[in-house]
Amino acid sequence: MSIVDERSAPADQPEEPTNRPDATHRLREWLARPYVRPILTMFVVFCLLVIPIGWLVVFFMNMSGAPASDVMSEIEKTILVFTIVSAPLMAITLTIIVYSLVGWGRVTGDEPPMQESPAIRSNATGTYLWIGATSLLAAFLVIWGLLALANITASSYGSIPSNQQPNAAKAIDINVTGQQWVWTFEYPDQGKISSDVLVVPIDTPIYFNVTSVDVIHSFWVVELGVKIDANPGAITNTGVTPNKLGTFNIRCAELCGMHHAYMETQIQVVTQDQFDSWVREMGGKRTV
Amino acid sequence: MSELTTNAQALVPRSATTGEPVTTTARRNRLGIWMCIVSDATGTLALLVAYAYLWSLNVNDAWAPPKDTWADPLPFWLIWVGAVVAALAMWWAVAGIRAGRTSQFITGSILASVVALVTFIGQIVQLSTFPFDITDGAYASTTFWLCIATALHLSVVGFLTSAMIGRFRAGRITREDHSHARFVAMWMTWVCVAVFLGAFFATTMNASPNTNSPTFGTFQE
Amino acid sequence: MTITAVIHEQQAVPQPKQHGKPGGLLRHTNIVTGVVLGLILAVVTYVIGGLLVPWGTENSNFLQVGESALVAATYTAWVIGFMIGIGAFAGPIRWWLGHDLTHADAQYLAGKGQGRGKYWKYTTDHKVVGIQYLVMAMVLLGLGGLLAMLIRTELGVTWAEVFDPNFYNSIIGTHGIVMVIAMIIVVAGPLGNFIMPLMIGARDMAFPRLNALSFWLLFAAVPPLASNLLLGGIRDGWTVYQPLGTQAPVGMVGYQICIITFAFSTGIAGVNLITTIVTMRARGMTWNRVPIFVIGILSAAIMGLVWFPMYQYSQVLALSDFAFGSAFFIPQNGGSVWLYENLFWLLGHPEVYVIVIPATAALMELMVVFLRKPLFSYKIAIAGFAGVVGISSLVWVHHMYMTGWSPAAGYPFMLSTELISIPFGFLVLVMLGTIWRGKVWTRLPMMCVYAMIWNKIVGGITGVYLSDVPVDQYMHGGMFVVAHFHFMLMGAGLFGAMGAIAYWFPKMTGRMLNERIGSIGFWVSFFAFQLTFGSMFVAGLQGQPRRVLQFDNAFDVSNWLSTIGAYAIGIGMLIFLYAVITSWRSNVIAPANPWGAKTLEWQTATPVPLENFPVLPVVTSDPYGYGVPDPYLTIEKQLTDEDQDAMVGAR
Repeated sequence: MSIVDERSAPADQPEEPTNRPDATHRLREWLARPYVRPILTMFVVFCLLVIPIGWLVVFFMNMSGAPASDVMSEIEKTILVFTIVSAPLMAITLTIIVYSLVGWGRVTGDEPPMQESPAIRSNATGTYLWIGATSLLAAFLVIWGLLALANITASSYGSIPSNQQPNAAKAIDINVTGQQWVWTFEYPDQGKISSDVLVVPIDTPIYFNVTSVDVIHSFWVVELGVKIDANPGAITNTGVTPNKLGTFNIRCAELCGMHHAYMETQIQVVTQDQFDSWVREMGGKRTV
Repeated sequence: MSELTTNAQALVPRSATTGEPVTTTARRNRLGIWMCIVSDATGTLALLVAYAYLWSLNVNDAWAPPKDTWADPLPFWLIWVGAVVAALAMWWAVAGIRAGRTSQFITGSILASVVALVTFIGQIVQLSTFPFDITDGAYASTTFWLCIATALHLSVVGFLTSAMIGRFRAGRITREDHSHARFVAMWMTWVCVAVFLGAFFATTMNASPNTNSPTFGTFQE
Repeated sequence: MTITAVIHEQQAVPQPKQHGKPGGLLRHTNIVTGVVLGLILAVVTYVIGGLLVPWGTENSNFLQVGESALVAATYTAWVIGFMIGIGAFAGPIRWWLGHDLTHADAQYLAGKGQGRGKYWKYTTDHKVVGIQYLVMAMVLLGLGGLLAMLIRTELGVTWAEVFDPNFYNSIIGTHGIVMVIAMIIVVAGPLGNFIMPLMIGARDMAFPRLNALSFWLLFAAVPPLASNLLLGGIRDGWTVYQPLGTQAPVGMVGYQICIITFAFSTGIAGVNLITTIVTMRARGMTWNRVPIFVIGILSAAIMGLVWFPMYQYSQVLALSDFAFGSAFFIPQNGGSVWLYENLFWLLGHPEVYVIVIPATAALMELMVVFLRKPLFSYKIAIAGFAGVVGISSLVWVHHMYMTGWSPAAGYPFMLSTELISIPFGFLVLVMLGTIWRGKVWTRLPMMCVYAMIWNKIVGGITGVYLSDVPVDQYMHGGMFVVAHFHFMLMGAGLFGAMGAIAYWFPKMTGRMLNERIGSIGFWVSFFAFQLTFGSMFVAGLQGQPRRVLQFDNAFDVSNWLSTIGAYAIGIGMLIFLYAVITSWRSNVIAPANPWGAKTLEWQTATPVPLENFPVLPVVTSDPYGYGVPDPYLTIEKQLTDEDQDAMVGAR
């Protein structure tokens, strides 16, 4: 007889009984503990707080204007999703903090308390639950983020030059130059007209080439969700398709010296006809 | 105290300040030296990254020095050979003190010091005879700084190797307790690697692979 | 006949030749000789250099190249002169000559029999260095806090410019870097030096003289930074992005010299901490018995040691651009702005964890004492620290999503950045798990634990927002980012440090902290902090860019609230400071172990004697042996026993 046979139990004998009750029993016992139900209730209540908070987040973001492009809508949706997904994590933390201060008892006084707490050195279920839940949340957010990034890259033309785009004929190229402390917009296809206010037609893909002639600036079209640094010595690209008429903010989002705060201008999203007449006024050619 | 214990204690040399066996303090110091090397390696990496990154970008077509006057590769490699010879001399000296051959140790240390000094002077000469100035574009700046880093490394090596002579004369380096000599040799080995990497970058990566960088402040490539 | 000395249990240790009186040259050096020599050398360099510099050369921004070089030389002379004057070079020269320290020398250098004078000297005792770091951190926090008040004043006064825009930009830059330096040292400096060696049962750090060196280098680094405001300031935020930095006046050199010197200080401290922790633990203190605070310090030291040279070199190269006209970051001459950003953030991000991790670990260490409960899942905590250290070096590009440097890099770095939230979550789990079912002893340090967990979870979750490229496309460069990192660095780092200092205060100063006043200060600061940075989140969501001094009226309300909160934080911090200072001077004498803690530092006398322990301790278990058996588990066991009986009966 080999050693292995000696060690393994004969197949016909029943498994050795353990002291550990089955999972349902343990869950029921756990739920019956006095602190569990209050904690679960608090957890649910705190989770529900996400509704007003999420509403507030969207409210604040829209205070200066609702999204005026698909990119910005995508960004706003992502922020809302992140708020909702992170709510359980906030809630469980807040619950344990609050319950610890009111529920499990407190000791005061100058001397170290004589009464000690239960010596819980580890808890496999709790640990696995936490790691599993946080990993799942993180995985969900990563996947959401990657998809959203691919999405906005596609709708902002990302780093693909406009002349390689399928609908290149319609797109408008705009050269954006940052300079202490003004933005200059040049329309190379409209007879090289240049302006310090950005005027673009609605529902037309706009393609930005961005550079700077002195220090780093950051070209930020707030309500359209466009942001890209204007780097001296390099050209960066981004794009957007505005889908709402109106006047929106352009700000500089990178400290660029004395008048950084005032390096603001506006973008006017107008109809195609208005845009054409604006181009004529500026002395440029009509849109091709 | 019996004579026996006194003898036994004499066999294990102890640190004069903490009373621990010198083998303990030597292990501790060796870890410290390794940490210094790690930290210095990151600094060297920063310089190499700067070199390679600016080389690959060729911003504003200003990587190359005026009229493409690249530095002569030979001095870089001569300096590297100097560093290697000094390190080998130091290791030879360490082998000597290990075996109790004190004259080999002193010869090796002196040789290492002299070679390190000559190499350091060579580095200074190279720095002062480049065909470009530090302001002449990115290649000039990065090459200057790689050589300045080498000069700093070599000056530290010069200090350490020359100290070996004085320390030996003061009786601080013995067959039983020669860890400091080994640390100096360890440091010199790392310096050889750092000098090699600098020389390799500066001599092999000259003309930038990027020939259509945008002109500064315009949209023309 | 060889001279011997008695060192603890060693009877006769042969000594090298004693040169002069014990201590040698260092008997005559102190902070006064350091400052005097530093100033003399600086003035001499400035005068002689002024005669030698070829004046008239201008760089691309019409600044005098010669002037920058001269100022750089002057600052360098100050640092070197100070270090000579304080006696830092005595060590290397003695080593070079072979005049090694005797036991008597070492004892003198450690401050034996020098009273309070040792705090003003090149003293090697880790406890002295710890106190020096503590005072330095408080001074820097005070300076940074004052500047923060000025910033909030400007932003609260929405109807006018209070400061000149250039001066305002200098304030935000100086506030940023002063606070970053203060936060890097505030836990790892005082507690890493004073408490950590006690905690692992060592007599001193591995390299006592390097310990003194690291502190005095920090001391020498501060005047150049502080003086930048007098020399035109650093007008570029604490990141000092190039090439904007090259437009600044010569105050910029002060920043650069400060960072280069401070990086040496951090590197030396890192070498020292790592070596001490790895090689000097007491007998029996195996890696699974090491207190978690020590692991936290080790993690921070590793990150600082490995990545700080990147930042240091970014400033060396920037100084070279600024003073010698080289071309690293000047695009006209072939430099790249992205190179600077990469080098900067390669340290810049790990540095956030260098700040947060020691504070987190310190609070883990103390919360077990106030809950009388073992640390929950020590191994998960270790895994958390290891994970953060490992991934921290792979996330720096998330600061550069919007630079256009490499749009495709957004994908992998979004992944790595959100990945780091998992080990970071481990740390939260450990803290929550330790709180779970604990009967809490409500003392001030424990209140800091609650505050810190809350701030850390807010900071962590908003960090996950910012790690996402699409969200960052809206938030980057805005107030949301500012609020996020203040929650992380101040909310988690500073409130954590306050808890840690309150906890170890009795051991460090020998007196109890006045918790009544301290708590008032703490709670005022905490709630004011929520108001300040909560409304800053709102400003960020509304779209306010950071580092502006004027803005749309839409942001007025949130900025007013923020400013009110900031003043209240200032008041709270002053109250806390008052509690610290008065308690230090005259509160009741602390017993050796006021908290009933089990780590080694509480087992030795207070005040701690020169070499910490009369006999080195031997460790037989980890320091978390608190608590009683879990009553529910006992019930469960009984229940199952009964069940089995019932089963047997049924059968």
